[in-house]
Amino acid sequence: MNRQDQLLDGFYRRDTYSPRVQDMYPRDQPSAFAGVDPVAHTQSPIVTGTSVIALKFQGGVMMAADTLASYGSLARFRDVERLHKLTDTAVLGSTGDVSDYQHVQHMMERLMIREDYHNDGHKLAPPHLFEYLRNVMYHRRSKNDPLWNRFVLAGHHNNTSFLGYVDLQGTTYQSDTIATGFGAHLAQPLLRKAVESRGGPQNVTEEDAIKIIEDCMRVLFYRDARSLNKFQRATIATDRLEITEPYSVDTEWAFAESIRGYGV
Amino acid sequence: MADGISAPIEHRYSPYTDNGGTILAIAGEDFCVIAGDTRQSEGYSINTRYAPKVFKMSNNSVLANSGFHADGVTLAKQLDQRIQESTGEWYRHAHEKDMSTPAFAQLLATTLYGKRFFPYYTFSIVGGLDKEGKGCVYGYDPVGSFERYTCRAAGSAQNLIQPFLDSQVGITAVNRAEQLSLVSVIRIVKDAFTSATERDIYTGDFIEMFIITQEGVETQLHPLKRD
Amino acid sequence: MFLTRSEYDRGVNTFSPEGRLFQVEYAIEAIKLGSTAIGVTTKEGVVLVVEKRIPSPLMEPESIEKIQEIDRHLGCAMSGLTGDSRIIIEHARVSSQNHRFIYDEPIKVESVTQSVCDLALRFGDNDSEERIMSRPFGVALLIAGFDENGPQLYHADPSGTYIRYDAKAIGSGSEGAQTELQEHFRKASYSACTHNELTLAEGEMLALRVLKQVMEEKLNKTNVEMATVSEAFGFHIYPADQLQSVIDRL
Repeated sequence: MNRQDQLLDGFYRRDTYSPRVQDMYPRDQPSAFAGVDPVAHTQSPIVTGTSVIALKFQGGVMMAADTLASYGSLARFRDVERLHKLTDTAVLGSTGDVSDYQHVQHMMERLMIREDYHNDGHKLAPPHLFEYLRNVMYHRRSKNDPLWNRFVLAGHHNNTSFLGYVDLQGTTYQSDTIATGFGAHLAQPLLRKAVESRGGPQNVTEEDAIKIIEDCMRVLFYRDARSLNKFQRATIATDRLEITEPYSVDTEWAFAESIRGYGV
Repeated sequence: MADGISAPIEHRYSPYTDNGGTILAIAGEDFCVIAGDTRQSEGYSINTRYAPKVFKMSNNSVLANSGFHADGVTLAKQLDQRIQESTGEWYRHAHEKDMSTPAFAQLLATTLYGKRFFPYYTFSIVGGLDKEGKGCVYGYDPVGSFERYTCRAAGSAQNLIQPFLDSQVGITAVNRAEQLSLVSVIRIVKDAFTSATERDIYTGDFIEMFIITQEGVETQLHPLKRD
Repeated sequence: MFLTRSEYDRGVNTFSPEGRLFQVEYAIEAIKLGSTAIGVTTKEGVVLVVEKRIPSPLMEPESIEKIQEIDRHLGCAMSGLTGDSRIIIEHARVSSQNHRFIYDEPIKVESVTQSVCDLALRFGDNDSEERIMSRPFGVALLIAGFDENGPQLYHADPSGTYIRYDAKAIGSGSEGAQTELQEHFRKASYSACTHNELTLAEGEMLALRVLKQVMEEKLNKTNVEMATVSEAFGFHIYPADQLQSVIDRL
């Protein structure tokens, strides 16, 4: 056993090493990274999903995410659903590590089952689910073992729309429009412009919202190399929660013919 | 790195981030004004135009946090429990009184220092009234070092606002704050934020202002530039 | 009470069929064997006096300490198994300092009394986390202090009960002393002169006079201990010459 491993076995391994980092190299063999400090605090997402975008409209919330799960730059899985129905009034969308997202799905499922056991007619409303998720995310970041995601939680309960964001550092906010990942740069300005120019979400109809979402998804597909023109759209409105089957938007590539000077 | 093998680091994870934002507080003779902008940012992005960072903690104490938003929220949440709870019992219940602002100020310091080796990345300000009913302001660093001030700014526009406050309110023996009326203090606060908004990209959207007097806490929301 | 004695006094937390906890009751009995301690509340502060029993002339009377400081604004007099009080007073001092550390303010008299009483019930014969003692305390306390609610006197006993008093006596002479105190306060209230009108000097006189009446020995400066807790001076234990001058005024 080398000195580094002895050190680790002393006290570090059990406490501050996350299970996943431990699994990355076998302890009984010389480390491939001998001489490199053990990077206990660093993890990286492995299979990832890209942007989630969402906005409030009159009487509801709408959210969209494509179905691609990338392995680095490889488009590894092309039919992964990144919008998850939590309750009859809330949908969770995820950017980032897909396995962490699935872990959260299971966790939220367990929470929902525990709640149902009470059978007291009480339903967890979107703000409650959001606070729970915040606590989980902040707790994990505080253990230096974050869940590598940026979540968007959209809900509509008792005629009140909810749209909130929580990420791997436990940062939270609520807003009329939210976009994660690449979408934060490309889609968010479009979403804000669309909503603010109409004077707020109460003046955005559902038809408007669909148009806005699809326009944003098109832009993201054009510009984000980790995106796919196959996405789902969730609508949460009074007495209605629907997540569409994956579908595409029309794209226009003819202009590409005339572009010269890039690449080969 | 031995044998030319490099460790696979795609993203360096940090448990902290900076969400920007500015807070300030001014102590008056029998009142205190404490305010913060409501913008939350990350890098060059604005997350939201309304994320409160000033929290009413009791009938006479208000806490403002700038820095890492998640820590600020957690800190406020934890203190909210501690205000009511002391060594397993509610403070109010255990001691049959509301916690005073100086007591809350000390509680915040011990709470922050309690996480000395994994700090809450927050620059906090507490505003309220002391036991004589005079306005009081306390300013903190992330690990709980604190001091009482007449006026204090913190956060991304601290270095723009503090000199302005020093000139308008004064910090030492010639304590002009005691002569300042509530109306003029509110004007100074608004001026401070509108000016800071011009130069600091992390400050803007709204001022959320808490005015603490013997009668209680009043809240005001004023618009700022959104660019 | 010994007529109803049964096996129910074995376990410290076992109720008898009549609903009694014998070990706690015995602990309260133990206090009645202790030396007398008296506390009197006045408008200016609280007076504590304690009898010191000196069975041997070879004993150094100054080495008996039955009044102790908890904090600048808190003191306490004890009766019973005074050895047990060391744990209690340590706990009270820690509570008080902890409150100062966390909140930068003196703890209230009632709060420190409550924290002492929480401790009093942490006995038991199982191995739970809460349990730290094998038996109830054999000591009762008169906790005197001053806070924003003015001067206050609390009596805390081994059952974890605490009650606030205008004047209270504990220990072997407590029955007689308590009657005397009540008599004084009854008269006082007839003359529309409540305890709030009592001065500290009058409080000293009352407490010492009552103690003198119930003591078997002749009262002198070596066999009593006296202290006051007031806003002006905080906790103050009387040195011999000051004590003598109070005795001289009797």
